Amino acid sequence: MTAQPAKSGFAARTLSNIIAVARREVLARIRTRAYRFTTVILVLAGTGLALAPTIIQLIDRGSAGDRIEIVGGETLPDFDPAAAFQQLLNSGAGTPTLPLPGQDVPARYTVVAAPDVAAARQDVIDDKATAALVLARGANGDLTFELYSNDGAVSRTNQLLRQAAISLTIQDRLSRAGVPPIDQATLFTPPSFELLPADPADSGRPDPSEDPGAFLTGFGLSIAIFMAIILYGTWIAYGVAEEKSSRVMEIVLAAATPFQLLAGKVIGIGALALLQYVIVALPMILVLAFQSQISQLILGTPPTPADPGAPSLTPAISIGMVLVFGVMLVLGFAVYASLYAGAASLVSRQEDINQIVAPLTFISVGGYLVSTYAGTGLIPLDSPVVVVLSYVPLFSPYLMLTRLATGTAEPIEAVVAIVLLALTVPIALWVAARLYRSGVLMYGQSPSPRTLWRALRAE
Amino acid sequence: MSLVLDGLVKRFGSVTALDGISFEVPKGQVFGFLGANGAGKTTAMRIVLDILRPDAGRATWEGTPTTDVARETWGYLPEERGLYPRLAVLDQLVFFASLYGIPRDEAAKRATDWLARLRIPDYATRRAEELSKGNQQKVQLIAAIIHEPAVLLMDEPFVGLDPVNVALLKEAFEEMRQRGSTLIFSTHQMEMVEELCEAVALIDRGRLVLAGPIREVKRSTGRRVVRLALEGRSLDAPDSIPWLGSIPGVRIARTGQDYAELDVPNDVDPEIVLRTALAKGERVTNFLIADPSIEEIFIDRVGRPVSSEEERHLAGPAAAPAAPTAPPAPTAPTAPTA
Repeated sequence: MTAQPAKSGFAARTLSNIIAVARREVLARIRTRAYRFTTVILVLAGTGLALAPTIIQLIDRGSAGDRIEIVGGETLPDFDPAAAFQQLLNSGAGTPTLPLPGQDVPARYTVVAAPDVAAARQDVIDDKATAALVLARGANGDLTFELYSNDGAVSRTNQLLRQAAISLTIQDRLSRAGVPPIDQATLFTPPSFELLPADPADSGRPDPSEDPGAFLTGFGLSIAIFMAIILYGTWIAYGVAEEKSSRVMEIVLAAATPFQLLAGKVIGIGALALLQYVIVALPMILVLAFQSQISQLILGTPPTPADPGAPSLTPAISIGMVLVFGVMLVLGFAVYASLYAGAASLVSRQEDINQIVAPLTFISVGGYLVSTYAGTGLIPLDSPVVVVLSYVPLFSPYLMLTRLATGTAEPIEAVVAIVLLALTVPIALWVAARLYRSGVLMYGQSPSPRTLWRALRAE
Repeated sequence: MSLVLDGLVKRFGSVTALDGISFEVPKGQVFGFLGANGAGKTTAMRIVLDILRPDAGRATWEGTPTTDVARETWGYLPEERGLYPRLAVLDQLVFFASLYGIPRDEAAKRATDWLARLRIPDYATRRAEELSKGNQQKVQLIAAIIHEPAVLLMDEPFVGLDPVNVALLKEAFEEMRQRGSTLIFSTHQMEMVEELCEAVALIDRGRLVLAGPIREVKRSTGRRVVRLALEGRSLDAPDSIPWLGSIPGVRIARTGQDYAELDVPNDVDPEIVLRTALAKGERVTNFLIADPSIEEIFIDRVGRPVSSEEERHLAGPAAAPAAPTAPPAPTAPTAPTA
């Protein structure tokens, strides 16, 4: 009845053992309330975040914040100043002229005429209106404005009102000078103004303000990878510590190698993480993609950009970019997760995990911060630090994505970074397995560089 | 055709856990691996299982280095019991079996069968953390034998079991032995060794003290033991049998409330004790000739009983910090155990 040695040692069942360990990890975790609860919370939070523009508008619509009261409308006998201000404000005051008849402008501000200054000011004090604007004419015939508001000069509404007032004043002057409204629109048409690099061979230093959508893409993808590595890397670390503290490790190690156990754990938890990630990301992507339609459905109008100059919330992401992101996510996760597991195997208590994985977390945060600074223009994207780090495996998942998204890296550079990262995976697994082999049988010792070194050298 | 440990050396920092251990375990035998805590038993087992690598020496099974032997050859019940606390009993048994290549349905069938035999069939769907320690230990035993290993290594298998479960474990032992498995267990409970083992190896502080079939080990001591009880006499003092001095080489080794155990050299016929007692007019109520117990042999060779070594170990100073260890007693510092 006894088993006969058909194949040699641990190696005989590497793949099947990795699958068995991964399967156990998935089944054990997917059934837990914690996993399901976290998934639901993340889906709600993610979807809520994606819906934020529409939700904010929905909330704003019901509040008095959009209401502006105009006093002294009779100062402009030729047209209704309340309607004019409403159009100017709702167009974002991005254009200095009134929209042409028939032009559809989403209503964000409601501007109404008020009978007297005292009543309008009282409405502002009572929070029934955001601001009260009093129009009059000065001795030289020009319009004058007094704005009563609870907000400061830098508030967005007050800024928009100021711009709208300037536009209205210029149009009033033109009207008084006899220029018809249709000619006024022509007068304000922007001229052709082209920015060209001094050196034709150089496309110029990348500037976040040139293509904020691209920067947002790189920035967003870096955040996504950072979140995955920190969140799910911690899962792995805690999983290892739990296995160690429950003393089940030694039984498993008699049947499977540290490498098999480690690889199975990384793959199992990685698959579970990816599943949760997809479950959370899918509704977010759908909401972002169909923001206009959803907004139309809820508000009756498409969402208004927070600022006329703001980038689109759904920057274009190419298939290649998605592929690079996917590969970087999987490989980056594999490297970090392996090292998290190896490090966690050195501690006996879950309380010590944060201490032992701190160096890895610092590296991860470092890569993320450099990526963020580069993405927002605080560090030039073509600086040597960014370029070199974008090839270094522990940093490349963050930085190469940012460089690629902003067009400062060629596809071949991304391929090189991916190859280097892929080569790092077996090295990370090897190092982690060495740590694991010694670490999982180590109890009662405080983690230190010396412990780490001994574990790496131990046979 | 056996398990051979050949010159195993293992050091953890400045601590030498194994110092050139060599012995052989014949195939199909029940083998006792004896020594106090810290003697090197667990380290030797871990090396056989390739959980640890020796600094020198090697272990072979049927001539093949154990590092190259198929994992399903081994079943292992470690001293530190462990299960996945939140996983159902049946699920974890199927998982452990799957690591040895047993198909899931077959594993479930075997697990169910063993759970019934060990009288815990209702616990299949319960989470491990809901079981008592004794029942968890049974589940761990099943995990070690579910793949029907050729060699079953158990580290202190009887610790923490009540008499009923000890009896169940012995039944399982017997069944495994009848199927042809080689059973190796470490213990410091000498009565278990006397009862179950055909051969033993005794180690102390990483060194082999003696090894071989129990009968040979006992005879190698060069003496026998006579248990003597005399009616109306209290034998609780070394000088309570004054006529004993007339028999050369015989001395009182140990005394009980109403009996004494006498050391008798091999060149003295034990029956002379009986004849002398009768000649002195004693009424002999118990006279038994036996080999010395394993406990006595341990004391003879090591110079102290197993329990005193265990107490010393638990109260002792910490050993090398980098040594892979079994967990310490709750307040004791970590030290390598064996």
